[in-house]
Amino acid sequence: MSRKSKRFLTAAALLIGLSAGLLAGCSGNGSGEEAGGTSDADQPKEGKTTIQFWHSLGGKNGEYMDALIQRFNESQDGITVVGTFQGGYDETVTKLQQAISAGTAPDVSMVERAYVQLFADSEVLEDLKPYLESSGMSEDLFTEGLMGHSYFNDQLVSLPLNRSTPILHVNKTLLDEKGLSIPKTWEEMKTVANALVVKENGEFKRYGLSMPYDTWYPIAMISQADGRFFNDEGTSIGFYDNGAGEKVFRYLKDLQATGALYYPPAQDSGNIVNQMFLEGRVAMMFQSTGVIGSLLGSVDFDYETAFLPQDVKFATPTGGANVVMLEGSKNKEAAWEFIRFMMEDPNGAQQFILDSGYLPFTTKMVESEPMQALWEKEPNRKVAYDQLQYAVDTNKHVAWPEVMHEFFSAIEAIMYDNEDIPATLDTFKKEAERILAE
Amino acid sequence: MISTSLQTFRETMAFPPTWIPASPQWVNFAEAMKSGPFLLFARNSLIITFSIIVMQLAIMIPAAYAFAKYRFKGKSFLFGLVLLAFMIPHQVTFIPVYLMLAEWGVIKTLLPQIIPFMSNAFGIFLLRQYFMQLPEEMIEAARIDNASEFAIMWRIMAPLSKPALATIALFSFVSHWNDYFWPLVMTDSASVRPLTIGIAMLRETEGISNWHIIMAGNVVLVLPILIVYFICSKQIVKAFVYSGIK
Repeated sequence: MSRKSKRFLTAAALLIGLSAGLLAGCSGNGSGEEAGGTSDADQPKEGKTTIQFWHSLGGKNGEYMDALIQRFNESQDGITVVGTFQGGYDETVTKLQQAISAGTAPDVSMVERAYVQLFADSEVLEDLKPYLESSGMSEDLFTEGLMGHSYFNDQLVSLPLNRSTPILHVNKTLLDEKGLSIPKTWEEMKTVANALVVKENGEFKRYGLSMPYDTWYPIAMISQADGRFFNDEGTSIGFYDNGAGEKVFRYLKDLQATGALYYPPAQDSGNIVNQMFLEGRVAMMFQSTGVIGSLLGSVDFDYETAFLPQDVKFATPTGGANVVMLEGSKNKEAAWEFIRFMMEDPNGAQQFILDSGYLPFTTKMVESEPMQALWEKEPNRKVAYDQLQYAVDTNKHVAWPEVMHEFFSAIEAIMYDNEDIPATLDTFKKEAERILAE
Repeated sequence: MISTSLQTFRETMAFPPTWIPASPQWVNFAEAMKSGPFLLFARNSLIITFSIIVMQLAIMIPAAYAFAKYRFKGKSFLFGLVLLAFMIPHQVTFIPVYLMLAEWGVIKTLLPQIIPFMSNAFGIFLLRQYFMQLPEEMIEAARIDNASEFAIMWRIMAPLSKPALATIALFSFVSHWNDYFWPLVMTDSASVRPLTIGIAMLRETEGISNWHIIMAGNVVLVLPILIVYFICSKQIVKAFVYSGIK
């Protein structure tokens, strides 16, 4: 008797447990549709407003960012900014997406510039123009080349924060040994890179040039060859019909064939090329400005930076992240005060940039005394800023994250599997058009 | 890893790689621990992993017992559901779970990292198989002695399956202690985060990372796993030996 009832109880308990779990799962699914809104448990302490700020900076740069936040918190009494690391750029985007729909989004966030369009399109970003005007600032204060991703439908949805750009890093010692000068054009690059190749017993001991496995560098070269990543209408790609794409990849494959180019394996490619450059196993590399600081501290050769070489023209994409204000924020005035501090105050982003080596993005920062002094001391850093006059971001589209995956596949097919270039680009074009039409 | 954690930045960058650092850099550990609230992270990690294991055992043992030794209607269907839960990856469920927990308002607590793991489908499955190997006669003997079902379960079945329980607990410990993805998506503030995220914060987003510092952090992260493994290893070997005989 009691055994039976216990059996029944066990079964019932299990059933209830399982079905409760299932039901909970379902209701969870349905409840997430209310958009926006910051529900904040960290309510103001002693009448202070708390601003949540999400960022993607770890390591040393994370410490510099924490220092910036601390400087802001100490500079005034009314607002406390809580900065939280949310993983890398992509992870932060995922976290923002889920938090916005759950109503737990922060007030201010760092967003990798190529994702700004995605959020702007969902209308979850605040237009910063009125705030800018109310603080007596204007958009002209900012470096034009870095504002490419800031506009969406005539709204100013983001401002630059930690921005970088690819440049040419050169092991000058190796070039000097051969009496070569730093290449300024694709043709010169081809000659120089080939001259630097060292081959022993059928094995390459040294390559001329390398670059991480990333869409950044092919895009830079497409722009240099006078193509655009997307056409002006945003309906297709802008480097197939004009042959720019084929020219870029043909050039890269030619270099790869003679050992002039080392194209690294996809996994951890950035670290691999940095390492090989430090060891003198590649003489030059295309790489972000973000590594200048660490390279300066660890090279034992004459290290210089230069513009990416030109084909038809000089061109460079930009990278790094912008700062946005979420439309659902309940403390927009305070949120703006924090953004304004970063943009304007010498203790704001200016100090962070001096510490970290990211690019200065307002004329005031560029002209400031500490920045000029730093450039005087480390001219390598100035090169990157000077190159910004040629900055052009042609991969601006809401669907970029999706197209990017396809572009990576195309790069893999060509660079690793030696697939036919026109055929691969043709497939990519069709795939991109399909995504863009959605 | 241990070697790198004691090197200088220059040594980590050298080629060929340095095996034995010229002078051990114990400061790397201090540096790693200094870069964030590591004590808090460690405390969170401990609370999360241990509550998960305790709850899993509390739920798993009765469930496995029921599935192994009872006959009831819909048993295979229910067991099928358990196996199904075992096959759904986290990547599918994290958004609904996050939204649900955000609605409950518990995102700023440790619960989102504990509740979803209270039941361990893999554990139920493994333990059921183990229980099924235990002879029915033992249970019947206990019943004749008037033992309650509860007592049979806790005082006979559970002690007999120590090797299986140790295996499950260890697997569970390792996977939750090392989990990065789930805590990252489930937490928005540093106060509820575990060690793994603290370690990830040591990495540079762009630029060259200080591997010696990261490795120092990793050594600290892995240490408890090694300790637990040494404690449990005897039991685990037993579990594999037993299942091998059958």
